[in-house]
Amino acid sequence: MNNDAGTHRHGGDRRRLRGAIAYLAMLVVVATVVIPLYFVLITSLKPRPDIYTQPVMWFPDEIIPDSYTTVFTAVPFWEYLRNSVFITAVLTVVQVVLGVLSAYALVFLRFPGRHAAFLFILASLMVPKEITVISNFALVAQLGWTNSFAGIIVPLAGVAFGAYLLRNHFMSLPGEVIEAARMDGTPPMKMLWRVVLPMSWPTVAAFTIITIVTEWNQYLWPFLIASNEKVAPLPVGLTLLQQAEGLTNWGPVMAGTVVTMLPILVAFLLLQKQMIKGLTAGAVKG
Amino acid sequence: MHITRRALLTTVGGIAAAATLTSCAGTGGSSAGGGDPKNIRFMSNHPGKSQDLEQKIIDAFVAENPEYSVELIDGGSDYEELAQKFNAQLAGGDVPDIVVASDVTWFPLALNEAITPMDELWSSGKVDSDDYVDTLREDYVFEGKHYGLPYSRSTPLFYFNSELWEKAGLDGAPTTWDEFDEMAAKLLKDNPDVAPLVVPDGSNYLDWYFQGMIWTFGGSYSKEWDMAFTDDKSLEAGRFLAEQVNKGHIKITADPTNEFGTGLAGALLESTGSLGGLKEQAAIEFDTAYLPGPKPGCPTGGAGLAITNKIDDERKASAMKFVEFATNQDNTVTFSQATGYMPVRKSALEHPDEQAYLKDEPRAQTAIDQLAENTQSQDYARCFLPGGGDRIGEGLDRITTGGEDVEKIFEELQKQSQEVYERDIEPKL
Repeated sequence: MNNDAGTHRHGGDRRRLRGAIAYLAMLVVVATVVIPLYFVLITSLKPRPDIYTQPVMWFPDEIIPDSYTTVFTAVPFWEYLRNSVFITAVLTVVQVVLGVLSAYALVFLRFPGRHAAFLFILASLMVPKEITVISNFALVAQLGWTNSFAGIIVPLAGVAFGAYLLRNHFMSLPGEVIEAARMDGTPPMKMLWRVVLPMSWPTVAAFTIITIVTEWNQYLWPFLIASNEKVAPLPVGLTLLQQAEGLTNWGPVMAGTVVTMLPILVAFLLLQKQMIKGLTAGAVKG
Repeated sequence: MHITRRALLTTVGGIAAAATLTSCAGTGGSSAGGGDPKNIRFMSNHPGKSQDLEQKIIDAFVAENPEYSVELIDGGSDYEELAQKFNAQLAGGDVPDIVVASDVTWFPLALNEAITPMDELWSSGKVDSDDYVDTLREDYVFEGKHYGLPYSRSTPLFYFNSELWEKAGLDGAPTTWDEFDEMAAKLLKDNPDVAPLVVPDGSNYLDWYFQGMIWTFGGSYSKEWDMAFTDDKSLEAGRFLAEQVNKGHIKITADPTNEFGTGLAGALLESTGSLGGLKEQAAIEFDTAYLPGPKPGCPTGGAGLAITNKIDDERKASAMKFVEFATNQDNTVTFSQATGYMPVRKSALEHPDEQAYLKDEPRAQTAIDQLAENTQSQDYARCFLPGGGDRIGEGLDRITTGGEDVEKIFEELQKQSQEVYERDIEPKL
């Protein structure tokens, strides 16, 4: 009994130590992620003189919405937001649909040259986007698409990453299920919709989140194409708050950052639910 | 790895510039002829937060010339971003008519024939070029031709916190950098938490501010096309800067204007273009002075307006008409008073509004006087070599905040600048 308790305590100690280390690691991660975000948030709510103080103020004396008012009035914020939502929504839908369809074709359809097609897709992943910017710009300019949604969206829509990610996932699906469906004579689209996708929601949801975040934060390409608030998305538009030779007022910049972050946060929370649902659905054994 | 937006854009711009140099963007669009000459497209980064002001100038222009329309295109948040966007447009073939071109961006554009020489347009468009302040106009000369007209032109100013100065018993701004060293020691003793002088970092044109300092030591970045980073006097200036940073006399920071404006610094080196913002928002009493000497201890800077070369003559003539209007006597007065940039026309200085304003606001007069007494044109290594400002700025960051060895860094700068010169400039001269 004594001995038993001894080993128990010993094991318990070790477990507790391990737990403590895990919690410590978690705390460090949370601190590095949360503290900057917290600073963004309180800076956006501080009165201007409080932003620059020494020592740093961890809690604002008073909370005022002035910075937000500035964001909404000094720049055409709502136009930028509308453009951002539109561009991101279209790009996400297109990229997810394209990714699913092409990955499905690559894995489940047998056609000559599909390996070559995959290699080609893989190769296009290796080309840095910056390289293609100029030729894309030339093309878009010739089509008369500068300062238009088409000019921003079309060149960004073809991304090989989705096809690559989903192909690898589809490959990992249990062959028996697919075989069974095939033997039942399931037509291709029905197979995708009824068999493949139900087993793939977590991956699709993860890819969707990645796409939303990437496209929402897209800077370089929209910056080159957009001339003004007609089509410019938030990251481009908010540079107007930040001026090289003028005087940058950081309160509104931070307020703009907060408002830009919110929609992404909402999208993430919504999709996270889907991811977990997919994970626990357990479509594998049938 | 830390990738800044500017670094990214620089890369892209480099690729774009390379594409322009070989004049084969790969996909054509080589003739940007056509286009509506009555529709003028003006790309600006709105220097000194001037977007509303620019729109007002445009509205006034259209009211006076109803047959024209003018489109204002956002060119990013600084001169470099605008240049990268313009480079992409040049390669792509869809170009604006007028662009803001800074002290460092105009020359590569002129060298690659991306912007047009203006002299003929001046005579055909009846532009009174003699009325522009001579030194500012002559900053845009390459092979005897002018490639721009001054617009948002500035010099660095020495802004100082009057109250702190008074408390420390100091009388006026330092006239030499040695005197600054003494003053800074005094300021630091009274207020150990307050940096005696804040200066923008290398991503925010430290290379521009330091240029004045290096001259006062008898050094320079270059003498015409001969690189001079490794001259004894230049090295001495570099060591002085590093030492002042070490002593805590100078603080290098990304956004010094706000620190100064809220009383966290004794003094500030910034462009005249910050005067407007500081007047509006600073929580402190401040005054302006020349950069410390001996003279000349201050470069000119800022940006001008340039006209795209690729467009046809009719569009060029329209563009010239707008450029002239945007910098005419009245608009110069309004623009310079709202932003703090220098009046670029002689007649603007004689305008009764301007005279009254300068009487009321002697801090703006400082820049105008300094232009005549304390400035000289910039070194080629900074403003004519492609990427010169970025390169030197980065080097200065390394010897100040990075604490690296001055000799080693300046030697690298010497070597790199020489290479860029031999590769990009020499064959074209």
